[in-house]
Amino acid sequence: MAATGLSTGPGQAGPGQLPGMAGPAGAAPGAWAGSAALGRLWRAVRSNRKAAVGAAILAVFCVLAAVPGLIAHDNPEADAYPRSLGPSAQHLLGTTAYGQDIFAQAVWGARETLIIALVSGVISTVLSAVMGIAAAYLGGLWDGGLNLITDILLVIPTFPLLIVLVAYLPNGGLVPLIAVLVITGYSYGARQLRAQALSMRDRDFLEAARVRGERRLYIVFVEIIPALTSLIVATFLGTAVYNVLAAAGLQFIGFGDPNSLSWGTMLYWAENNAALQTGQYLWAIVPGACIALLGAAFALLNYAFDEIGNPALRPVRKYRTRHDA
Amino acid sequence: MKRLTFLGAITASILLAASLAACGSSGTGSTATGGILTISNSTGGTWTCQFNPFNPNVNILPFGPIYEPLAFVNTLQSGKASPWLATSWAWSNGNRTLTLTIRNGVHWTDGKPMTAADVVYTFGLLKAHAALDLNSVWTVLTSVTQQGSNQVVINFNTSGLPYFYYVAGQTPIVPQHIWSTVKNPVTYNDANPIGTGAYTIKACTPENITYTANKHYWMPGEPKVSEVLYPAFTSNTSANTELATGQAQWGNQFIPDIAKFYMGKTPGNNYWFPPTLNNDLFINNKDPLLSNVAVRRALAFAINRAQVSQIGENGYQPPANQTGIVNPTFGTWYDASAAAKYGYTYNPAKAEQILTAAGFHKGPNGIFVTKSGTPLNFTVINIGDFSDFVASLQVIQANLKAAGIGVTVQNLSQNAFDAAIFNGHYQLAYYYESGGPGPYYEFRQWLLSANSAPIGQSASSNYERYSSPATDALLNSYATATTPAAQHQIMDQLQQVMLSQVPVIPVTESVDWYEYNTHLFSGWPTAANPYAQPGPAITPDFGYVLLHLKPAG
Amino acid sequence: MRFALRRLAFFVVTLWACLTLNFMLPRMMPGSPITAMMAKYHGRVTPQALQAIENAFGVDTHASLVTQYVRYLGDMATGNFGISLTVTGEPVSQVIKSAIPWTLGLVGVTTVLAFVLGTLIGILGAWRRGGWLDGILPPVFVITSAIPFFWIAMMLILLFSSQFHLFPPAGAYADTLTPSLSWAFVSSVVRYAFLPACAILITSIGGWILTMRNTMVTVLAEDYIRMARAKGLSGPRIMFWYAARNAILPNLSGFAMSLGFVVSGAILVEYVFSYPGVGYMLLQAVQNEDYALMQALFLLITVAVLVAILLADIATALLDPRTRAAR
Repeated sequence: MAATGLSTGPGQAGPGQLPGMAGPAGAAPGAWAGSAALGRLWRAVRSNRKAAVGAAILAVFCVLAAVPGLIAHDNPEADAYPRSLGPSAQHLLGTTAYGQDIFAQAVWGARETLIIALVSGVISTVLSAVMGIAAAYLGGLWDGGLNLITDILLVIPTFPLLIVLVAYLPNGGLVPLIAVLVITGYSYGARQLRAQALSMRDRDFLEAARVRGERRLYIVFVEIIPALTSLIVATFLGTAVYNVLAAAGLQFIGFGDPNSLSWGTMLYWAENNAALQTGQYLWAIVPGACIALLGAAFALLNYAFDEIGNPALRPVRKYRTRHDA
Repeated sequence: MKRLTFLGAITASILLAASLAACGSSGTGSTATGGILTISNSTGGTWTCQFNPFNPNVNILPFGPIYEPLAFVNTLQSGKASPWLATSWAWSNGNRTLTLTIRNGVHWTDGKPMTAADVVYTFGLLKAHAALDLNSVWTVLTSVTQQGSNQVVINFNTSGLPYFYYVAGQTPIVPQHIWSTVKNPVTYNDANPIGTGAYTIKACTPENITYTANKHYWMPGEPKVSEVLYPAFTSNTSANTELATGQAQWGNQFIPDIAKFYMGKTPGNNYWFPPTLNNDLFINNKDPLLSNVAVRRALAFAINRAQVSQIGENGYQPPANQTGIVNPTFGTWYDASAAAKYGYTYNPAKAEQILTAAGFHKGPNGIFVTKSGTPLNFTVINIGDFSDFVASLQVIQANLKAAGIGVTVQNLSQNAFDAAIFNGHYQLAYYYESGGPGPYYEFRQWLLSANSAPIGQSASSNYERYSSPATDALLNSYATATTPAAQHQIMDQLQQVMLSQVPVIPVTESVDWYEYNTHLFSGWPTAANPYAQPGPAITPDFGYVLLHLKPAG
Repeated sequence: MRFALRRLAFFVVTLWACLTLNFMLPRMMPGSPITAMMAKYHGRVTPQALQAIENAFGVDTHASLVTQYVRYLGDMATGNFGISLTVTGEPVSQVIKSAIPWTLGLVGVTTVLAFVLGTLIGILGAWRRGGWLDGILPPVFVITSAIPFFWIAMMLILLFSSQFHLFPPAGAYADTLTPSLSWAFVSSVVRYAFLPACAILITSIGGWILTMRNTMVTVLAEDYIRMARAKGLSGPRIMFWYAARNAILPNLSGFAMSLGFVVSGAILVEYVFSYPGVGYMLLQAVQNEDYALMQALFLLITVAVLVAILLADIATALLDPRTRAAR
């Protein structure tokens, strides 16, 4: 068995990583086993206020990303309009120093930012699940090897590694950016999922399946994965937030494609043109607020899932303990 | 409770600190006599407190105010030379021998006299250590010897006229009695530099350098500014803010939207951005499509230089012209009639007309194609970190598309870009040459075939790989031309090459960034009195300007 | 003992992986230090002189990969990090030495502060479930921890520097001062560090609050807490000595991880505030393709994380006997 022992501690997995993602070790995913898991998740989202707010914000951004042209009629390209205009009826949020409509840029920017969040989130969650569950279930040398890789990636500080990797990539395109986010971001989830899967290995329902003579793949996909749904969703949400922030950070310091339309790139150009010092506040405020809102949407959903997964965390409304000190 | 007390303590200490700092800053720079001048130039890093004038990392700090050259060569006046450590000089032997008379009565700051022997020693040092010879003067020098007590004779292996700038103007003279004891002059720190200049280093930390006036400077009554602070700025915004608020009075900064950011924020804030170079669209002359002069001419007509200047360069870097002469700085060289004859103003219709006449026709997507059907789609490479170039290329891309020429922009890392442009593995590239005191230097870098290299080998300049024996002959004949008339005649012919061959397309003119405060100091270089390149990051002009400044009022 | 040895072995393997990554990456990209220098000194230094400088400083890209690798490992082991060619031109160890104190001071202090404050608030929040503190703080901090570090930093500059001129927008101390232990200098350092510290505090405190609160909530449901209550122990005593003490273990190991990330989280804040620390230097190194500096900084950051985690592991093992028994 390979060295492990990074403990189950939550804490911060990186700059901006949401701690709620891991949740305390007390989560009980076993309760979610079965095909009804997703259905229950949905009901839980509807009944939890934080989750509802998060889902609503996310839905709005999804619409922006899907049909930006319907919402912003202006051209987001350079030099289409007079430069550095204040807000007006024609240009709701004014224009940039290059004559771009800020509102149109913000709306169009949703697409790339959301793609980064979703695609990198999904891929790294899948990778987490595969690596984590495989390590836990296969055991032995496999577990040792996979777990070692995961552990190494876990302790190497993410953001510097991201910077170093991105700096070496030929061009700041989207694909390499997502690839690097996945490589650096999957390990935390993999470790969580492995721990959880390990703890289930000797549970009765798996024992029963083995006794029934089910094949390994059946056990993994039909028994284990559904039981881990809650944690997998939490992993996805946590990774998505982190990736949105990390990608925006990279673009902001100039490691993205400067011609791309995204919020991070908007901030890069705003900073380059000293938007805050020359009175073009909206140019810097709007994209940052968008990133924060998107991040908050994921974070709220994540927080809500913690509450759903761990009933002990649910808000106490009327009840007060007698032992108030 | 604990938390509150702690925050309370922090707040108290901060308020106190704020008031202290306020007192401190009000005393800075406003004193009438002797004044403290603060420079704002963002280099991106902190200071190393090394002052080796031959170390390209740090030579902008000592060369000028501490170490001085033999003569001052003014780029803004097409290379007009004035005495510095040499009082006079003369050419002989068909411009192959330069005899300089070294100034008497100059002392190093440790009290020892500066002599012709120090000058000879300095050139010997460069010969012995090629890594110190930043301008490679020893590729054209044959000997440097002392003559009599105060003369130095410099022999060249060719006409030395174009190299005077490097030999007399760009070589800092160092003391033999110090440097001869240095074990390795290439890696030498020179933390306590001993020079002949108007300033010495009083203190240095990674965050700030303090220069203080040399009380025994050889020029009587100079310098009038008693102390110069050179803080290290790691970002443009902070450097710009110090200028706007008046905490710094001399800037070498690009300031976005300077009217709002800087002007009027502090009384006496001024700026002047004199152009000295061109930012060019380099064309790989060996590319099968781009070797066709019609395509190159069409490109020159299709680019809206004024728009690139406005959008890409905030209007600070003025539009360039196809003659390659930087106006107004080198305006006396500009061949206006030739420029008018070729008339390279923005004209997409003319571009299309040239392409049609050359046998191209428009393909279905509006992009011209050759007879064999190859579309005019080009890739232009650029350094992604240069945000003004990125913005400029967005405009150029749209311009060319409107004229039926497709362009893809690749914003590369500096390293990848260099590998491509030096070795000729590109179609179009956005970059600049280094220039010199007069338009000749930039033309030589653009056009001299000896500066270029075959595709796959590293070129030192002439990245577009233009090669013409006639042009080479013109460039070499300039080196021996001694009369202004002869020089002008050659430069006129070189402009004809630029106009007819379009080997490279100057798009905007690259400027010196320069902000200055007239409320606290006077004697600044201005458009009316361009006595030196005005930015504090230009050597040795930096030291030359300091000798002209004095506290105002 | 076995546990400690196993952990140590893991860290050695991780270190080796980092070193190798560090070695391979720069060699897989186009260009070389010499072209990076050519770009930096464009127009100021001739190619011949650059070649001579390259030779003088011993930039060696011609030896075989294996030779370079062995030499590289030896150099790293002996602390010979080479010369920062394109950023400053002085030995890398010198650059690092001047940058570390700023990062340790700024980010170290704020992280400890965030941990202490966040944990306290988390404890109180969980103890008074549903109280006003618990009602407001978690949702607020869920949102603040999703705000980009650098954007918070920009907004702080906008408010407190551009608008009200309360704090300087950039730098480490007033440039009229020379470093000393004088009141003027120290107060200047504090003043300049205030906004960056706020930016880090705002974005990182939420994490501590939430994890502490959530673990506390779980612990408070345990039998021994009920037991303590039944025994009639005082509220604060139960809160700190029974619940918080047990709940803090996960947060403690999180803290160790976070201390390692102190350096990396600093990058964006240092960038925005032009704070002359390690993170800013790393950015400079990467942008200037300064292999030597970048390798050393990346190594430094990794070692900082590894040491912090190792210490936390040891502390946890000492504090919690179960860790030693398990696995």
